[in-house]
This record gives sequence, structure tokens and C-alpha cells, in this order.
Amino acid sequence: MSSILKLENLRVRFSTHRGQLEAVRGVDLDIQAGTSIGIVGESGSGKTVMSRAAMGLLTGSNVTRDGRISFDGKVLSDMSREEVRNEFGTGMAMIFQDPMTALNPVRRIGSQLQESLRVRLGMSRKESRARSIELLTLVRIPEPKQMLRKFPSQLSGGMRQRIMIAIAISCNPKLLFADEPTTALDVTVQAQILELLTDLRQRLNMTMVLVTHDLGVVAGNTDYVAVMYAGEIVEQAPTTELFANMKMPYTEALFKSIPNIQMKAGSRLPVIEGRLPDPTDRPLGCGFAARCSYAQEKCFAEHPELEEAKDGHLYRCWFPLGDSIPRKVS
Amino acid sequence: MRKLWSEFNLPTKISVTWVSIILFLVITGSFLPLPNPTEYDPNASGVGLFSPGHILGTDINGYDLLSNVVNGARISILIALISVGVGGLIGSAIGIGSAYIRGKLDITVNLLFNILLSIPNLVLGLALVAILATSADPSTPIDPNRRVFIIIFSLTVVIIPILGRIARGATLSWVNREFIVAARSMGMKDRHIIFKHIVPNVLPAIYAVIFLAIGVVIVAEGALSLLGVGIIDGVSWGAMIGRVAGDFTYAPQSMYVPVVVLALTVIAFNQIGDHLRSQLDSREGKI
Amino acid sequence: MTNHAHLRKDSDVLLRVEDLVVEFKVPGNKVVNAVSSVSFDVKEGETLAVVGESGCGKTTLGKALLQIQKPKSGTVRFEGNELTSLSKSDLRSARTSIQMIFQDPISSLDPRMTVRQIVDEPLWIWSKGDENERVEKVKTLLNNVGLDPELVLDRMSYEFSGGQCQRISIARSLALEPKMLICDEPVSALDVSIQAQILNLLNDMKDRYGLTLIFISHDLSVVKAISTRIMVMYLGKVCEIGPTESVYSKPAHHYTAALISSVPIPDPTHRAQRTPIVGEPPSPVDPPSGCRFRTRCPAATELCATEEPMLRLAADGHYVACHHPRA
Repeated sequence: MSSILKLENLRVRFSTHRGQLEAVRGVDLDIQAGTSIGIVGESGSGKTVMSRAAMGLLTGSNVTRDGRISFDGKVLSDMSREEVRNEFGTGMAMIFQDPMTALNPVRRIGSQLQESLRVRLGMSRKESRARSIELLTLVRIPEPKQMLRKFPSQLSGGMRQRIMIAIAISCNPKLLFADEPTTALDVTVQAQILELLTDLRQRLNMTMVLVTHDLGVVAGNTDYVAVMYAGEIVEQAPTTELFANMKMPYTEALFKSIPNIQMKAGSRLPVIEGRLPDPTDRPLGCGFAARCSYAQEKCFAEHPELEEAKDGHLYRCWFPLGDSIPRKVS
Repeated sequence: MRKLWSEFNLPTKISVTWVSIILFLVITGSFLPLPNPTEYDPNASGVGLFSPGHILGTDINGYDLLSNVVNGARISILIALISVGVGGLIGSAIGIGSAYIRGKLDITVNLLFNILLSIPNLVLGLALVAILATSADPSTPIDPNRRVFIIIFSLTVVIIPILGRIARGATLSWVNREFIVAARSMGMKDRHIIFKHIVPNVLPAIYAVIFLAIGVVIVAEGALSLLGVGIIDGVSWGAMIGRVAGDFTYAPQSMYVPVVVLALTVIAFNQIGDHLRSQLDSREGKI
Repeated sequence: MTNHAHLRKDSDVLLRVEDLVVEFKVPGNKVVNAVSSVSFDVKEGETLAVVGESGCGKTTLGKALLQIQKPKSGTVRFEGNELTSLSKSDLRSARTSIQMIFQDPISSLDPRMTVRQIVDEPLWIWSKGDENERVEKVKTLLNNVGLDPELVLDRMSYEFSGGQCQRISIARSLALEPKMLICDEPVSALDVSIQAQILNLLNDMKDRYGLTLIFISHDLSVVKAISTRIMVMYLGKVCEIGPTESVYSKPAHHYTAALISSVPIPDPTHRAQRTPIVGEPPSPVDPPSGCRFRTRCPAATELCATEEPMLRLAADGHYVACHHPRA
């Protein structure tokens, strides 16, 4: 296996009226070609900012980005914006939470789909039409020819998300970023879209980064998981290993606090008290210490680094779960 | 107060200063040591700016321009404040009420507003004054007070749909918020919902437009005078402009002094309105 | 034909809804049957979850119970009062026993009011005590929902996070000590780790104030944590109603089964057990004849197109509207 996307010490800062806000604080991530990885976190964890930065989509005078991003052997962070755009156009693609805002409401589906084919791949009108129909069939849209004539507002959320996927895969990307692709959809449609994504990934040999807050979505659709908290990766492991063997108290607390359809009806949920630390004023020690039920003095004083347990299971905790180190429960 | 001032940008600071000066003149104008605006100076007809005793010069007949501008401010600003105040109150009440009640009433009100707004302000004002302020018998002149009243009335009618529409739109955006539904389900009376929840949220949008509307009215009043249907007795800014239209070549200052003062005042009111508008937008963004 | 097999005769039924119909006019002179002849009842102390996907009419149903959305026909009997035929002033006072919590915590609170004013509002409307008594009551309410009154009383609502706004909403809704609380997707706008806090709070408040809850949600995992009874809706109709444990373990309607198996399970060893249904819900403007789910149903036959299924017994207290229920 080879590395397709590699982030080294990625940092993203925004300057706001309240001061410097560090949304991503030194993320290292190596994504292997052909796999699928889930990035899990709550809002404010930095998961969306990180994926935008990795795609070279964060621009603007109030943003500073440090660190090295390499995509398919080329160092993205050294490239000019023009080169990034070319690379982004065909190498990476992205689908978003709300397909309505990503589609132009006054243009027909056909013209939006064919545009990228003609501009990026230099296809003729006829070729691009034939390819569009092929793509719509690939994303399992019934009657693709009629679909070309429709406007986004005539479609349901699920259909729009299928169109977004068709546009995203139109240039045969190697890497597909899916940022909360099913959060706005109904549960039966969510299941269909997730199944479609998994199927397309295998069929087209794509690498997929699935950004989500939903541990259930991650469990069924990824090979690896990275859990983010307060701008950092706090735990990372192969999916089955992570769910079987959580090391970081935050991961466990998050997992337990989420309502689960398999638990007994009417059971009381354990909660994570408190809130995410203020992003303009990060604590000295572990970002989760103030909310952690196992926190010790050391956790407040020193910032833990990522440690490897075994077989690529990384965690950022002084007193990982499943360890024999004695600790008092506070 | 000082904090408020520090939030203004330079154009807004200048505008607020200018409007304050004008308002100061409106209040104290008659007590200031200025030549009598209705008495002409036989020794100085048509003198230019900075002439002795006449800082802004005189017109062709020797009337002092500064005292006329100060005196005119009172009428012009008063007309603007009354018509915008009354029109704003009526317009907002209609707009908020119809958007709250919805249904056929709202459709009718919206249609009426649209019809009124489709007629240019000046044409509407002109038509109203022409219908109401001309006497059937040309030999009996119209009572000047009645004429002032009719001009204020006409300008009020111009203002009602402008502010009514703003109030209606703002109300529509608030009336479906869940806290309104919550208030209703708690058993709050409609009149309390309107005064406790809708009005405080709609008011900022209305404030912003009121300043723009004052500018509209000052211009409209001036234009009506220029067209010969405004204040006849020559005390408002518009009347000054209208009266000297023919004397332009002999005493240009008698034209541009009132025009410049009027223009600056309108620009200042618009600037303040724009400032309030952008403040509102950024605050609404937070909410 | 009546469709009341599932209604209970017990004396502790707090709310009884029969044949409720709510219609909307949509552009093109068409009529949407958002709620189409729905009957159900809620006993004192129960938590009834109303579950379904977008467009199934669950939110409209909630508003129609409170008469915020006027039903076209049908009856809503609450504590012996027929809400649909009450005069405006009688309705005002009857409504105080049913309160509602909404999905969007931010838009539920007036941005130009302080927390004190917001929570005090229902007390002010009904003149419950003098100024001092009301302030004390507001403080108690805020304490009960887990907010420190000294810290929050005089702050504006927009300074708070979604979860805190939802707590303030809950405090406000409890001020008049209602019997019933209708919660319309109260946690779906919140972050995952906050959802549990609010669900637990609702359960605590239920015990403390002796509430009966109607919990409207699209999220089957959330519903399972909080409800005692569950009603599944599809395109304005009731598909299935019964005790939560029974519906989840033995769904009798094919739609309920599909909903449950579509929920992603946070367990990677659990994959590939899904039976997702095809397609998306048809437009409620022109619903299918007979059983409304038949266009997506794996067990549909000709009978389903011609005859609308009535609710019938599937298990103890568990009713299903299906010609070919799952075994």
C-alpha cells in the first residue's frame, strides 16, 4: 500500500476579533490508498477545518496554515494556488452536508454535470452527455435522461446528494472527501447513500475520507478511524480495533453518551459534563482533562503526545483505558 | 455615549455632526443674531459669499441667505420629521398588523403598498397636492397654513408604504420564529405578543429606514416647491430654490446655498441610515 | 369505517385524539393531507414517541394538538376538554397545561430578552405572584434545569450555546407546571455529547413534575432511550403503535423494520445485516392508494393497492396497519 494523502504537523489558525483561534493544532495523518478513514468529532473539534485545509480549500487573509500536505507524492503545501486547483480538480473531490448550497439552483442538472466534464476533461458536448448519463446510472438514479433536464429544487435531498456524488466522481478522483454526507438526510435514505458510497469506493478504487459526528456511520463504512477533540487527533486506530479497545477516555465517553438503538429501552445515558475548551484559550495540559472522569494532576499540567499502543493504535492520554496504572477516579 | 461615538466611522461622525448643527439651528434659529429673513437690505442686493453683514450673501432682492437657510431649516426639517413620524407610525402599524394577522387582509395591504410604491414619490406627492390644494375658484387663494398641512399629508402618504413594507417584511421574518409560537402556547394575548416580541425585534429595521425616509421627504418637499406646488411663502429650503429659479444668472449663490445645504443634509441622513442598517445586519447575523 | 382498535378505555388516559385531519394548501391549488385521520391516546405518565421521516406529518401533528395549526376535522380531548371546539379564551387557559419545546433552541428564545424575562414570561402572562415571588420561581426553575441562576439571569439568550438554550426553553415550559410536554425534535440540533444531557434532563423533569411527554423525532436511537410507547407514521398515517420494547424487538410493519435496520450501529462487527428499503417517500400531495407504503414495501400485493389497512392487534398492546404484517 502507498500513501495517498499525508498531513504532517498541520496547523490552521484564524485571526478573529477575539484573538488567534487555533482550529487545528498539529495533526499528523497518513492515509493509505484504497482505504477509507473516518474523522470523528463534535462541532468545534476541528474535523471540518482540517479536511478543508487538506484539500487546499482554506484561503483568505485571516487564515494561516502551517505544516506539510502531500497528495499522491506531490507536496501540496509548496504549490501555487493555480497548481493546487488543477490537482484538486481531478485528484480530489468533495461532497458536502447540504447538497442544495453546493448546486446552482438556476441551472439544470445536465449542464452542471457536463460542465466539469467539458472544462476539466476536455470532452465534446456529445461525449459529455453520454458520460453524464453513465454517471447518473452509476449513482443509481432511475431514468437518468429525464434527470438531465431537471433543476435542483425539483429533487429530494437524497437525489441531490446522488447528483453531488456523480459530479464528484466525474473526473475519476483518487480521493473523495465526504463531509457529513448524510446528516441532512432521512434515515432510510442515509442507509442508501452510505451503501452507494461504499460500493463506488470499491468499484472505482477510490480512497475515502468520511468526516462525521456519527460513530454509527463510521463503524459500518470505514477501515480506520481518527477521533478529533479540540483541534487534535486524540485517538486513531483500525475501526474494529478502536471499537473493541478504546484507549482514550474521551472516545469512550462519547461512545457511551450517544443513544444507541441496541440498548434497553428507557435506559439512562451517561453524559460528558462541561463543554469543549475555548478555542482562543486552550488549556495547558490535556484538552479533555476538565471533563474527564479519570483526570489526574498531570493531565492538567502537561500536554500528552500521541503514543502507539500496538498495530497502529494511537492515543493521546497520560492514563489510557485498559492500562494497569492505578488511578483514582475523581 | 462616548462609546457609541467611537463606533462611528468618519463619514458617520461628519454626518452626525452636520445633522446636530441643523437640529440646533431648527431649535434656536429665531433667537440667533441674524438679519430678519423677511426684510431686505436695500444696500446689498445680490452680494456674494462673505460680504460684510451677509456671510452667505444675499439674493437678487437683498434678502439675507444665511437667515433664510436657518429659517427654512425649521420648516423643511419639521415637515420631514412630522411626515416621517406620522407616516412611519401608521405604516409600521399597518405593516406589523397585516403581517401578524396574515390572510386576505395581508394580501390586500401588500397589493396596496405595491401600487403606491410603483408610483414615483414625486408624482404621487404632486398628484395629491394638485387635487387637494387647488381651489376651484382661482381668484380665492389657498390658505397657506392649509397648504402646509396638505403638503405634510401628501408626504405622509408617500412614507406610509415605504415604512409599511419594511415593517411587514421584518414582521414576517419574526412571526414564525418558535419563541412566538411558544408565547402563543403559553396563552399570551396577541396584543402582548405584538408589543413584547414583534415590535422590539422589528424596530431596529424601521429606525434604519426612517433616516433614509427623512432624506426622501426633504428632497420631495424641495422638488414640489420647484414645481410650483410647494410652500408658497418662501420659508422652506425648497421654496428658496423654487423662488430664485429665474435669478440664477444674476445671483448664483441664492441657488446654490440652499441646494448645497439641502444636499448635505440629505446625504447626512442617508449616511446615518446606512450606518444603522449595517449595524443591524451584523447584529442580526449574530442572532 | 373506524380505525380505533388501538384506543384504550382506561380512566387515566390524558389525551385522546380521534380521526385528526390537518390539511395544507400548496401552490397549484392542491391540498396536502399532512395528517390523515390519525387516532391515538396517551396515558398519564407515559412518554409517547412519534417517529417518522421528513414529510410524515409528525411536526404538524404536534402543532395540531395545541391548536396552533387548526385541524380540518377530528377531535383532540385533553383532560375532558375538547380542544378543537374551545373558545379563544378557554383555549388560552387550556393550553397552559400542554407546553411545547422546539427543535431550534436559538429561535425558541427572543434574542432581545434576558434569561430572567424569558423564563418569567409565562408567570407574567398569568400573573402568578408578585415580582419577588416570580423571581424566586424563575431561580428555582433555572436551578432545576441545571443552570446557575446567579450566572445566567441577566444574560441575553444569544450568549448561550444550543444545549443551554434548550435548558432555558425547558425551564420556561415548566413555569406553568403543565401536565403534558410536547417535544418536537428537541435534541436533533444539538451536538452528540449534549443530546444525552438534554434527554436525561427531560427524564428528570418528567419525574419531578409528573409530566406526560409526547416526543417527536426522526432518530430511532434517541427515541429508544426516552419513550415508553412509540407510534410510527408514514405520509400522514399511523403504521404501527405499541410499547417501545415490543416495537423495536418485533416490528410488525415493514416500514418500521426498514427504519430500525437503517440506523447505523456503532459496532463494526455488526455490518452487512441491513435490509434497506428502496426509493424515497412519494409526494404527500398525491399519496399512493390503499396502503401508502406499498410503493416501497417488499411484501406489497394487489390488496395493498386497493384497500387501506386498518390497525389490528399484533402483540399485547401492539397494533399494526398492514395486510401482511411481519411474523
